[in-house]
Amino acid sequence: MSEALRVRGLSKSFARPVIAGLDLSIAPGEFYALLGPNGAGKTTTLRMIAGLMRPDAGSVCVFGRDVLADPLGAKAIMAWLPDEPLLYDRLSPMEYLEFVAGLWRVEPALAKSRAEELLETLGLWAHRFERCEGFSRGMKQKTVLAGALIHEPRFLLLDEPFTGLDAASTRLVKEILQARVRAGAAVILTTHILDTAERLAARIGIIAGGRLLAEGDLAALQRQAGVAHGSLEDVFLQLTAS
Amino acid sequence: MFRPAGFAWLLAREGRVLWRGSILVRTHKYVLAPVLITGLMFQGVALALAAQIVRHPLPPGQMVLVANLNLFFFFWLMLSRAMTAAIDVLYGRGDVDFLLASPIPPGRVLAVRMLGVAGSVAAPWVLLGGVLANALAVYGQLWALAIYPMLLAEALVVAALAFALVVLLAGWTGPKRARRAGHMLALVAGVFIFALGQAPRFMSSAALGRFWQALLPVGDARGLRYVFANGLLGHPWALALSAGFSGAVFWLVWAALGGRFASGAIIAAAYRPGGSAVRQGGAFRASPFAAVLMKNLRLLTRFPGVVTQTVYRSLTLVPVVMILAGRLRVGGGVEVVAPLLVFLTGQLALFFISVMVGSDESPELAASAPVAPALRRRGALAAAGYATLVLMALPVIGVLARDAALLADLLPGMAGALASNLALGLRLPIPLVRADFGKAQTGTVLGLILGVGVSSAWSFAVWLLVAPHALGWLLPG
Repeated sequence: MSEALRVRGLSKSFARPVIAGLDLSIAPGEFYALLGPNGAGKTTTLRMIAGLMRPDAGSVCVFGRDVLADPLGAKAIMAWLPDEPLLYDRLSPMEYLEFVAGLWRVEPALAKSRAEELLETLGLWAHRFERCEGFSRGMKQKTVLAGALIHEPRFLLLDEPFTGLDAASTRLVKEILQARVRAGAAVILTTHILDTAERLAARIGIIAGGRLLAEGDLAALQRQAGVAHGSLEDVFLQLTAS
Repeated sequence: MFRPAGFAWLLAREGRVLWRGSILVRTHKYVLAPVLITGLMFQGVALALAAQIVRHPLPPGQMVLVANLNLFFFFWLMLSRAMTAAIDVLYGRGDVDFLLASPIPPGRVLAVRMLGVAGSVAAPWVLLGGVLANALAVYGQLWALAIYPMLLAEALVVAALAFALVVLLAGWTGPKRARRAGHMLALVAGVFIFALGQAPRFMSSAALGRFWQALLPVGDARGLRYVFANGLLGHPWALALSAGFSGAVFWLVWAALGGRFASGAIIAAAYRPGGSAVRQGGAFRASPFAAVLMKNLRLLTRFPGVVTQTVYRSLTLVPVVMILAGRLRVGGGVEVVAPLLVFLTGQLALFFISVMVGSDESPELAASAPVAPALRRRGALAAAGYATLVLMALPVIGVLARDAALLADLLPGMAGALASNLALGLRLPIPLVRADFGKAQTGTVLGLILGVGVSSAWSFAVWLLVAPHALGWLLPG
């Protein structure tokens, strides 16, 4: 089976190199967490994978589709959730989902039933016809998450997806994402909450200075960091200390 | 340098924030050149006007009437703007809680905000009125310079009233509706001034004469009841009294609001959990273009002030309707409506496309979707064009009914004004909303100036087409 994500030699510089020769591979049905200190290049990496930023060098393939050569084909099976909700304050959640479903050409009857199901599941049903401008950060986050899921993407790029969510909503979103992974979708997420990464992800990648420092499950990371029996936090701090 | 957290320090910071949020700054690097040219043109016109005023002085009673009218109009126009500005500084910026949590006395914060609003609403009128005052001063009429202190004094009263009104309305109905009330006030004031300017067209000269006569001062024109007008006319006693009165009103409102502001009650009163309900959606479409168009039309109709701004721009329709209805004759006849409608088409198109550009809060959402990058641009153009055409349909039908032959020149002109203003607004949208705290303006004054120029050019071209001898009087013989 082809890889869900295959990144080879990805590089990007602004005033200085932000990503330098990054290689990543994620399998279908895999939950992958990309960790790193502030300014490590996590968001830049996700933006290049999502086709929002052109790399200086390297290649990105999502389920066999080249993001650089066939951006529309790749975007059709992806969903990107940035750290700041991409929302329109003067639209209601239902109108927002209409818009997103239209952009991804979801068949209207199917889109409607999915929208209703997502709004119900995420606890937004009572607010579905209210403008988002009065929503809390958590409600906005749930609305954009519904938007990211309405076209049933095979590959999800999530940048700090749990920001602003309360404990119950966080658990709910985790369950939804795990269900998507069990159904064969691949997820790559960035987070600063190391516990979340440890519990959710099958594999974890740690980057700093635009390079992948270590990758694998917790045991593999412990070996690479030389920290026997240490927590993910210990491993992370050890790897990124320099 | 000012001492940190002192009154002057805080006022300087407020001034900097207001300046950075103003439409002149952070709009376009070349904006100052056309603004300067326009200012010089205004000054030239003002010099010519001042020469006429000096040559034909008005009797004292009429001077008081003119001064009163100016103060009246300044008051209402400033009040609507001050209400919007007060909402911005109290609720929009979102930094009041932060300042209240600091060791700066809350009363100082409130006073600085009120003074900042007074200064910002007075500034455009001081610049505009100052042009004529300067010109009069060149001709030795130094009394005209009293406009500077008088407008600032009036702005103090206006700012104080605006804060009082906004606190009342925001606590009662929320900041959004209070903002709408400010827009409505601006609309009513604008329509009233327009209607007054058009009065000779719909009132008999006898009735109009009686109207102006009734507004002339009764008794002593230098009396206390005309103190503000006399202040504007440069009488020192009136100027001092007006300034004293304004300062007193400002202080009273500041003192009355101070306690509630310090306790956070003013900010808390406006808190409304949840968003306002919208009409039921649920019409899903599998077409990206239809989805973008629908989203854009929704954002357009929900843009704050869209009704008032549209009505403002559509005031041109009043003479058009009167001409088409045969109630008004201007120049050769009905063909005069063609250039008017072409101009209006351009202005509406520029406004709507600017709303579209300014309303696109999340452009990266569409960028992450499997759609062509040009879709967003096409969606914005289609929504703005559609809204313009919907509004222009009725007057075009009116022309069709009255003089169908005119459409041969009118429609191409409208199409040209529409296309060029849509293209212009996409690159250089006009400033419509105050930028969020710390963010840049999306609009530029350059777009506004160029848009008026482009609309005027199309309008002029159509005028020459419908009235080929329009400029005949310029030719010798």
